Amino acid sequence: MTSFHASMVKMRSLLTTIIALTGVILLCLALQGCGAPRDGADEHVTKLGSIEVTARLVEVPAEAIAKRDVYVYTGILKYEVLTIHRGQVPGKFIYVGHYNPPVPRYAAADQRVKEIGGDVASFQVGDAHRLALEVPLEEHYMGPIINPYFGQDTGPLYWSLWCNEVDQ
Amino acid sequence: MMDMRKIICKSHRRLSEPRGVSPRSKSFGARLAALLVVMLAVTMLMVPLAKAAEVAMEKPAGEDKAVATLAGEVRDMGWVAFAARSEKGDWDLFVMRPDGSALRNITNTPDANEAYPLFSPNGKRLLYRQLKRDEMIDGNNYGAQGRLMFAKSDGTDPQPFGQPGEYPWASWSPDGQRIACLDIKGISFVDLETKKVAGKQPREGFFQQMTWSPDGKTLSGVSNGFGTAWSVAAMDIASGKPRAISSQDCCTPDWFPDGRHLIFSKRPGQWTQLWMADPQGRNPRLLYAEDGRHIYGGRVSPDGKYALFTGNINEDGDPGNSGAPMALMRLTDAPLIGGDGEALRKQHPQAKAGPVLTLPIGWEPCWTASETPGGETAKDDATKHDAANDQAAKETDVP
Repeated sequence: MTSFHASMVKMRSLLTTIIALTGVILLCLALQGCGAPRDGADEHVTKLGSIEVTARLVEVPAEAIAKRDVYVYTGILKYEVLTIHRGQVPGKFIYVGHYNPPVPRYAAADQRVKEIGGDVASFQVGDAHRLALEVPLEEHYMGPIINPYFGQDTGPLYWSLWCNEVDQ
Repeated sequence: MMDMRKIICKSHRRLSEPRGVSPRSKSFGARLAALLVVMLAVTMLMVPLAKAAEVAMEKPAGEDKAVATLAGEVRDMGWVAFAARSEKGDWDLFVMRPDGSALRNITNTPDANEAYPLFSPNGKRLLYRQLKRDEMIDGNNYGAQGRLMFAKSDGTDPQPFGQPGEYPWASWSPDGQRIACLDIKGISFVDLETKKVAGKQPREGFFQQMTWSPDGKTLSGVSNGFGTAWSVAAMDIASGKPRAISSQDCCTPDWFPDGRHLIFSKRPGQWTQLWMADPQGRNPRLLYAEDGRHIYGGRVSPDGKYALFTGNINEDGDPGNSGAPMALMRLTDAPLIGGDGEALRKQHPQAKAGPVLTLPIGWEPCWTASETPGGETAKDDATKHDAANDQAAKETDVP
């Protein structure tokens, strides 16, 4: 009787541990969104700026993301707009200025441009990004700009405040 | 500048140290006697050394005869102001004769940094930025850092103008009554007496280093509006339309005194070079290039015959360290290639030979014909020179 009772206690304890561990694992998975495609939404991209879109990088000209010694600049990249979450964007393509483009978005901010960020590590053609934007760029940024599309009909340039990866 | 003083100080220390006297082998009296002999010898040596040092400070830099001739040509052509690190480690403003002599710290503010001095057109006043001591000077933002200050051009009577961050990239109007400022909202023209904004217009891509032309009709500056990151551009104030003067990674533009040309830095390869062109960007000409140095901060002498510049080995003005020596050349000797320059000479076969006067370490120099920056020592000359400058300013049209 004593032996049976002890076994029952052990089994109950083991079961409780398994349930607890499962709960923790499920919670972690839920928090990380593991298994579900990332839509790029977070508390930054959904609040910053007056425009929020999901857009695909059409091309990444080398000069627009090149490392330039000590000098930090903004590079203009061309995007195809897939979804408009906030604000208005006329047209299918937009031209977006990313500050300090050679480095990951989470490391791009500095003393001069403080309130930018995101989880995009590098810019690759075809990648989709969820972007928090302002327009026109010149009202939000005063500094060097490398614009491979200079002279083309780009419309107003957009200023990227936040840039997160989106799974397609 | 500082180097010379440091060398002299080191010499003092070396000469002051009694050598070859072993305390173990000598009695106290003998040691004292030896010490007195050494001190006497040092004293006797110091007099001529000090005189030699004074001469060295006053003498044109360099031993080459052509360089000495160049130094002699510019020595009495007013004063040059610039920022440099002081012996206390902060950045102060200094003035010197254009040959590098008569060097003097005119701010002496160990608790603050100063940068970006600009003489008023008549040379009587100076505007500059004053930063907190722990704020590093930013090679792309120095005109907007800290607060705007005005002082007499000898550094006396310094007065803040507005709050920190206000009046960025201030540049004198030809009559010295207004400043043009540049911020993200646009270009504004501020009356210095009333502090009122007399006019505003869009900046059209201008983002740094804006200067007002001698005739008051045009602004030059660094622009992001021409595809490349740093273009030198000009903007007619009346039309507000900018035009590129050079769009190959260019910066630090300034006007020739007659307003017919601009001097600026341009980076066609690894190293930045000194160039000039007319205000339409026509007839670009190389002035000075040296592989191994970035040439920035070009300023033309008041008579339009000489150019001052900085030659930094490290990029961005090297504000974290002490920068590099400035230099001066004749414009009639241009184009000049410094250093070995074999590759550059192939690119510029028309390069000439000419002297380059090495000047003290400094950054972003400006040059005035006025004698006022010399202070009391140059007071008599100042009256004469400044009267002529005042007359010239009155004759200048201002929009």
